[in-house]
Amino acid sequence: MFMRNSTYAFAVVEIGHLLALAVFGGAILLVDLRFLGVAFKLQPVSQVARELLPLTAGGLFAMSVTGFLLFMGGTMRYYHNPAFRLKMLLFVIALIFHFTLQVRVARRSIALEQNSRWLKLGSATSLLLWFTIGLAGRAIGYV
Amino acid sequence: MTILHLCQWIYATRLSTGIRESPYWFPIIEGIHTLGITAVVGTIAVLDLRLLGVIMKREPVSRIARQVLPWTWAGFSVMFVTGALLSIAESATNYFNWAFRIKLILLALVGLNPLIFHLGVFRNVNSWDVASITPPRARAAAVCSLALWAGIIVAGRLIAYVNM
Repeated sequence: MFMRNSTYAFAVVEIGHLLALAVFGGAILLVDLRFLGVAFKLQPVSQVARELLPLTAGGLFAMSVTGFLLFMGGTMRYYHNPAFRLKMLLFVIALIFHFTLQVRVARRSIALEQNSRWLKLGSATSLLLWFTIGLAGRAIGYV
Repeated sequence: MTILHLCQWIYATRLSTGIRESPYWFPIIEGIHTLGITAVVGTIAVLDLRLLGVIMKREPVSRIARQVLPWTWAGFSVMFVTGALLSIAESATNYFNWAFRIKLILLALVGLNPLIFHLGVFRNVNSWDVASITPPRARAAAVCSLALWAGIIVAGRLIAYVNM
C-alpha cells in the first residue's frame, strides 16, 4: 500500500536496489571469473569463494529486501509482466545454482583439481544467468 | 558556438536520433550501461573494503589491486562507451538536467581520487602492504571512492526521473 502510493518511496527503494546490485554484481563477477580461471589467479579458488561470500550473500540479502519492496508497489502489475516472470524464474535457478557452487568451493567439498572443467562450465552458466537476470530486470519497466 | 549549441547539434545527428527514437536501442544500451557500472563499482569496492580492513585482511593490498583493477578498467570501458551513446541520444535534454550535471562533477572527482591515491600514499605501499589496518590516507581514499561511486549511481538513476 505504502509502496504504491508514495511518490518518492519507489525511487528511493529502486536506487537502493541499484546500489546493492553494484556490490552484489561485482562480487559475483569476481567469484565467477576466478572459477573460470581468468581473475584473481594469485589467490586459491576456495579463498576467493570464501572471502567474497559476505559480499555476494550480503548483496543478495539487500537486493531481495529492496526487490520485495518494489514488488509490493505493484503486485498485480508485476504478476502479469513477462519480463518479471522470466527474471523470477531465472533468479530462483541462479540463486540455488550459484550459491551451491560458491559455498561448496568455499568449503572445499568439491575436489577442485579434478573438477576444474566442471567449475568453469558452472561459473560460465552462473555468469550467463545473472547477466540475463540483469537485462530482464531492466526490461520490466519497458514491457 | 556554445556547449548548448554543440549538444543541440549532437542531438540532431543520425546516431542520436536513431538511438532515441528506436523502441529498443535505448533500453538495451541502458541495461548494459548498468551492468558496466556494476562491474566497475563492485570490483573497486573489493579493493576499497580491503583498504578499510573489512575483507581479505591478510592479503597484501598491492596483490588485490593488481588482480582487481584490470577488471575495473574493463568494466569502465563498457560503462564509458554505453554512457557516451546514452549521452549522445539525450544530449540536448541532458544539458539542462541537474542530475546529469552532478553526475559529471562526481565522475571528475572519482577520477581525481585514484590519481591522488596512486601518486601519494600508494607509492610507499611496501611499508603497509600486509597491514590489516592501512594508513589513514589510504582509508580516506577508500571511503571517498565508495561515497563518490554511490553518488554517481544515485545521480545516474535520477537523470531519468528528472527528464520525465
